[in-house]
Parts: sequence; structure tokens; C-alpha cells
Amino acid sequence: MDIDDILASVSGPRIPQRTLDLQALTRAWVAERTAPELLPYPAELVDRVMDRVRKQIETVEEMTGNMDPKSNFSLIVIQTELERFKFLVRSFLRARIAKIDKYPHHYTNLSKSSDPDSAQTLLSPTESQYLTHHIALLSHHYNTSFLASFPAQLQRLDDTAGGISMVDTPDSESAVFCRVLRDCGEVDIWGEDGRAKVDLRRGDVWVLRWSAVKERVVGGDVELI
Amino acid sequence: MYGELGNKLVQHGKRTQNLPNLPPYQTELVRSVVREVRELNREVNTILEPFSGSFNPSQEPATACQLLVNHLSMRRNKRCLLAYHRVRTDKLEEMCWNGVDVLGTEPGPEGAERDPAVGEGSISNLSPEEEEYVRLYGDLLAAYKGQWTDIDLTGSLEPPKDLFIDVRVLKDAGEIQTEYGAITLTKNSQFYVRQGDVERLIQQGYLQKLG
Repeated sequence: MDIDDILASVSGPRIPQRTLDLQALTRAWVAERTAPELLPYPAELVDRVMDRVRKQIETVEEMTGNMDPKSNFSLIVIQTELERFKFLVRSFLRARIAKIDKYPHHYTNLSKSSDPDSAQTLLSPTESQYLTHHIALLSHHYNTSFLASFPAQLQRLDDTAGGISMVDTPDSESAVFCRVLRDCGEVDIWGEDGRAKVDLRRGDVWVLRWSAVKERVVGGDVELI
Repeated sequence: MYGELGNKLVQHGKRTQNLPNLPPYQTELVRSVVREVRELNREVNTILEPFSGSFNPSQEPATACQLLVNHLSMRRNKRCLLAYHRVRTDKLEEMCWNGVDVLGTEPGPEGAERDPAVGEGSISNLSPEEEEYVRLYGDLLAAYKGQWTDIDLTGSLEPPKDLFIDVRVLKDAGEIQTEYGAITLTKNSQFYVRQGDVERLIQQGYLQKLG
């Protein structure tokens, strides 16, 4: 927080919460689709958005009931907006599920090993339910298909013997495009020619390794594009 | 021996990734790979037996090498099997998400005729375990979807451009209710309808989106 932020918060025009939510949802959606790793679940944001969607559906139902020709146009506008919101949330959730499905064991280990607070923010309760259930299904399927007739020492699904872990993890070194929203210091980068530092200044656009900017993205200083 | 069969299995899996439907489950191949693993394991045990737990690799490099090859082959076979099954389950999950009727159990919309060739074709391609898996995954998906009734998670992932779209009816789909009244969808007719009302029918192949 520096003086510009304080000034902006005092003198700037008040932006209504729903506009901010739309912005936050769009940002979360873009980030979730571009980041190689699962990002913390924005429970409050999704709840607020879903509340609003529910209210809009009610409004639409009321307006259709009236069959007032004058309200027809605004009805179409509202419905279009509603469809777009639904699409955003749907695509957002699907992107998360796709990642969970891709690395199920990695995320189970994560939610088990970390303390309960952070595990809850990474996955929503329904998502972690889905994850546990899905893993159970998968291992049951493997077991009945072939694993059960394997020698006992080879039946595990999370073996690390032989120097290779069976648990597939997302590649946190892959590159992401990002835009800096607030000045936030320097990050280390490294390549074939050794190490260097990059100063992240507001408005800059960079291609950086995900591991280098992860914390700043989660903290909201940097957005993915 | 030594992973040759596993390689075949992986090739099958690789091919599966690019196919629109699921090819038949390689029951025989899977069984022989499992058999190979068990034979390898038996061999390892017979080799180790005379040493009665005091085997020293540096004294017997030849035996150690043989053991290593056997172990690696077993692990490799396991990976091949896992990969093969994972590719297939991924494919099945994708079908579940897309609303494809994999098992051919759900009755189609009223008044519509099922295409028997499609249903039977896919069902014989699954192993019994996979059928079970699809059924359970379907339940799981339904449970997860149930939390998001307002959103319809399995809906289209294309960003919506227009509220209303032109559709052409490819197969008779009976009558549907919309907020502007009932529409009877007869083959080869064309309608201008709300996208949300006909999303499912497009996915199931009754309607085609135009333009």
C-alpha cells in the first residue's frame, strides 16, 4: 500500500461491488485457465456471484410472467448477461475440474499434507469431495482391471521407488504471460545464461516462469493474461 | 517378454487418444501383460531363494543385473497398464461430460428413436470394469453437478454470443417447452430459438447449430 493507493481509494469514484466482482471473476477465470497449477478457490466471490445469478433468474421469471411488451427488450439484455455470467462460472469451474482430474494424487497429497486452513482455500468442499471420490473410483478400476493380480509390492499407486515418483505433478516451471498491477519488487529469473533479476513495475507485461510469479498472482499484485 | 507386450498396449493407447470413439478393450493383451509380470516376479523369487535374504549385489553382478532387468520390466509393464487404462478412462470421462450416452441405458427424449447401432457398438468396446466405472463416474458427476444447478456445468464451453440461435433439426426430437410456448421439432425444419433451451439437444445430436 503506498500513497497512490490511499489517494485512489479516497478520491476515486465508487465502483459498485458487482462491477468489481465481474472484474474479479473474469480475472480468476483467465488466471485459472492459464496457470499450470490449481489456484486457491475464491469461495466468497463465487458465492456472491451465484447469489446474484439466482436473483437474476428470479427477475427473469417474473418478467416473463408479466408478458409486458415494454419489458421484452430489457428482458433480452438481462438474459444475455445472465448467460454470459453462467458461462464464466461454468468455464471457471470446468477449468478447475480439468486440473484436478489431471493430477488427482498430487492434489490429494497437497490437501492432506498442508494444514486444514490452506487445504480449504485450495479446493472448495464440493471439489475435494469430488476429488476423493474420483480417486477411489480410479483405484478401484485399476484394481479390478489388473492391479489385484500383481505381486503385492507392486500394487501401490504412489510408489517413489527407482527414483521416479508415480505421482504426476504440474510443471511449475512453465512460462506464463502476466501483467503487473502494482509495483512489487524484483523476482529472480534464470535461464541458460545464468540468473538475473526482473523489476516488476506497474503496467509491465512479462513472460515469466510460473514459480517466479505464483505468490504475486495469488496476492493480486500480478494478473495472468 | 521384457516389456514387449506393454509397448503394444501403449501403442493402442496412443492410437486411442486420436480416435473419436473408444476402440475395443484389449482384454487378451492386458491379461498377457499381467501374466508376464507375474512370471517375472516368480523368476525374481526363484533367483533370490538360494541366497535366503543375504544377497550381495557386488559379489554376483550377473545375477544382480538379471534382477534389475526383471524389476525394471515389471515396473515398466505396470506403467504401461496404468497409462493404457488412464487414457481410456479419460476418454470415458470426457464422454460423460459431453453427455454422450456411453452405456446406452438412458432412454432418449420422448418420441425419439434411439440409434441401436451406436449404443451396442460402444457397449461391446468396454470391459465390464469400465462399464462399472462409467456408471459410478456418471453418479459422481451428477452429484457434483447437482451443487451447481443454476449453471449447468455440462453446458457449452463456447462463449455465448447471442441469446437466440438458428438451429436445424437433424432427428425428430418431439415437443419441447420454451418460455415462448411449445415447439415441435420435426426433422429438417429450422427454428430460431433460445440457446439455453436447446443446448442439450445440440449436444445429443438432434439439432445442428447454424451460422
